[in-house]
Amino acid sequence: MKEEITEKKGTLSSLWIVQRVIAVLVIVMAFFPIANPAKICGLVSDKISLFTSAISYNSLISDCARAFRMNWVDETTFVVTYIGAVIAVLGIAATGVGVCTSMGNNKLQRFGLKFSIIGAIAEVVGYAVCFVGYILVRDTNRVDKVAPSMPVGVFIFGGIAALILILSLVLFVKTPKALPGEKFEMESKYKLFLMFLPFAILGFLFCYLPLYGWRYAFFDYKSGGTLSSDNFVGLKWFAYLFKNSATRNDVINVMKNTLAISGLNIITSWIPMIFAVFLCEVRNMNFRRFVQAFTTIPNFISWVLVYAVALSIFSTDGFINTFAKEVGLMSQNAPGHNYLMGNSFTWVKMWGWGTWKGVGWSAIIYIAGISGIDQSLYEAATVDGAGRFQKMRHITLPGLLPTFFVLLLMAIAGILSNGLDQYLVFENAENRESIRVLDLYVYKLGIGNGSIPLSTVVGMFKSVISVVLLFAANGMSKLLRGESII
Amino acid sequence: MAKTAQEKLDAKREKAYYKKHKKMYRTKPGDVIFNIFNYIFFSAFTLTCIFPFYYLFINTVSDNELVKRGLINFYPKGFNVDNYIALREVGDLGTSFIVTISRTLIGTALMVVASAFVGYIVTKQEMWHRSFWYRFLVITMYFNAGLIPWYLNMALLGLTKNYLAYIIPTIVAPYNIILVKTYIESIPAELEESAFIDGASYMVVFRKLIWPLSKPILATIAIFGAVGHWNSFQDSLILMQGNEKLFTLQHRLYNYLNQSSNLGTLMSQGGTAAQQAMEQALNSKVIKYTISMVSVIPIFCVYPFMQRYFEKGIMLGAVKG
Repeated sequence: MKEEITEKKGTLSSLWIVQRVIAVLVIVMAFFPIANPAKICGLVSDKISLFTSAISYNSLISDCARAFRMNWVDETTFVVTYIGAVIAVLGIAATGVGVCTSMGNNKLQRFGLKFSIIGAIAEVVGYAVCFVGYILVRDTNRVDKVAPSMPVGVFIFGGIAALILILSLVLFVKTPKALPGEKFEMESKYKLFLMFLPFAILGFLFCYLPLYGWRYAFFDYKSGGTLSSDNFVGLKWFAYLFKNSATRNDVINVMKNTLAISGLNIITSWIPMIFAVFLCEVRNMNFRRFVQAFTTIPNFISWVLVYAVALSIFSTDGFINTFAKEVGLMSQNAPGHNYLMGNSFTWVKMWGWGTWKGVGWSAIIYIAGISGIDQSLYEAATVDGAGRFQKMRHITLPGLLPTFFVLLLMAIAGILSNGLDQYLVFENAENRESIRVLDLYVYKLGIGNGSIPLSTVVGMFKSVISVVLLFAANGMSKLLRGESII
Repeated sequence: MAKTAQEKLDAKREKAYYKKHKKMYRTKPGDVIFNIFNYIFFSAFTLTCIFPFYYLFINTVSDNELVKRGLINFYPKGFNVDNYIALREVGDLGTSFIVTISRTLIGTALMVVASAFVGYIVTKQEMWHRSFWYRFLVITMYFNAGLIPWYLNMALLGLTKNYLAYIIPTIVAPYNIILVKTYIESIPAELEESAFIDGASYMVVFRKLIWPLSKPILATIAIFGAVGHWNSFQDSLILMQGNEKLFTLQHRLYNYLNQSSNLGTLMSQGGTAAQQAMEQALNSKVIKYTISMVSVIPIFCVYPFMQRYFEKGIMLGAVKG
């Protein structure tokens, strides 16, 4: 008797698992453009998913403006499709709610199953409405322009929805009724997980889902085009990057700039530490606070504003030129010199701006470190007759070294990531060659030139190398200090 | 508070010690020179950090004619605030302001609440596969797919030319979650336990206990988040191509700075004679300076409040998750 019950429970729980997995599958599928049930004709972009079709009518009809104007197709067709997509997505959401509540007790499970059943019905209705949209668009007289296409997704999604419906009904029948007076309850481990879930989904959408974009590297994709087996090119772009002499030279140049600027930053990464050590030698606390307050300000200013500041000081009619004229170093009518143009010392200039912006901020962590050093060490050293520099050398610097080491390793791990903003704003016609770092190159290539596959390839290399470097740095830290940095 | 006899004695001894070893503590000439150089260096560097902003400011409040001739270098002459009033006429600056301010407020508020909430949940050992899910979020700090896949992904989600692109992706901030989690772990567990014994749910504990107790760290992340939103430029640049109405302030400023021709033409055409006179008086340089000044002023306004939280934030950041 007892065995029978456990067996029954076993089949029931495997049914539950199947239902949950399918429902999650549908939710994930709704975010991918493949088999979008709302894709009723060629006018609907290949790049929008069911989810996008439902949340944004504008995305759905983004390529239809001309078709509406020329009266190739009636707008109501798209309104119908949109409504279908909205109903379907609401249905999927309801199924999702049902799955979430299925982790509770019997009462909660039955409550959730009602959601699942209603959701699945709504899904089926929604897909049917989308199909009505297709039937409407099929009757257009401009087949060549509108290119109606059978939305295969309707059947795929519809089939799955029907499966969920059946499973949910079976489960509903099999799940024992709640006892009278039973409350909605769920184990706290699942409760906590469900509270966490929305944020995990956000993290997935914005951090993991972009990895799916790496597939563009394997296709001959042009902006606005489609991905299909026709333009699958395998590793062509990877080879192209090294075989094509123009891009190869570009890449060599870009790597030179990236490594040079990052290298300058790494070589001089001791500057904030020395800055902090010397600042702590200032005995006047008010002066010290004043310096600390104002040297950290540039860190909170965007690069665009740094550029605005740079213009006001170094451009043709900026401070340096007008001041030189005022004190007579330059004749009144002389054309000013624009120090921001020109290609001399670009790397050093960029390093200089970065240091100006960041040194005060980076020093804070060292200042905090210095105040954490045991004061009795200094007293003992003084008694032993150590001078100022000896104390710095033998007490302060060794005390700060672990912090410095960690920051140095992080800097080495980020050697390829200079950031885009700084180089974009300071770029001009004359320094273009020596300012083009990797991030700027990817931006120009992908967004500017529209070479999406090639820039994806470059970005992939960058991401992979960065992660490897990070792990290498971490391993090194473990080896040398016995502590990991990530 | 009265000193004990022992303390008095200690102080006396210390004084005697210093007197005896006076020579050792005397300032040496080398120290004086070092100090002078130290003060000079820090004064000079601080000046380079303040002066540019001061220079921008005096140029925006001076007589425009003098500015044009490059005569305003150290102090304002012919005070006027017309430039700031004239900004009303610069097309689209108002919408950019609304976009930037609203995203700063909404985005920061949501980010702080989410970080606090997630930070609290992940401290609960009983959560289903807690360490896996925590790592699932935190690991995203260390990799990214790259600019173009990110852009394509945003397009996939319908977040190009869409105001929500400024808000939704910034809600989950792994680094801030780590900060909050570390902070909450330092709160004595007994407080929470007693609340649970009294029958409080997770939400109630979060709202009534965790939220008020972690206010210092929440203020810190709020400030960093707000500055990030205010300075945001890249998302606007890449995602909002083709929808000028959603450009952020920094993006707009970038466009203005890049326009070599005068900005006067950007001012609305027509209007009264007085307006046209104003247009003529304004040269592009002054407008650029004024727009820069307007976008930097809010940072300077919140800066004194921020400073209190800096050190805390950066030191907590040194604690790994």
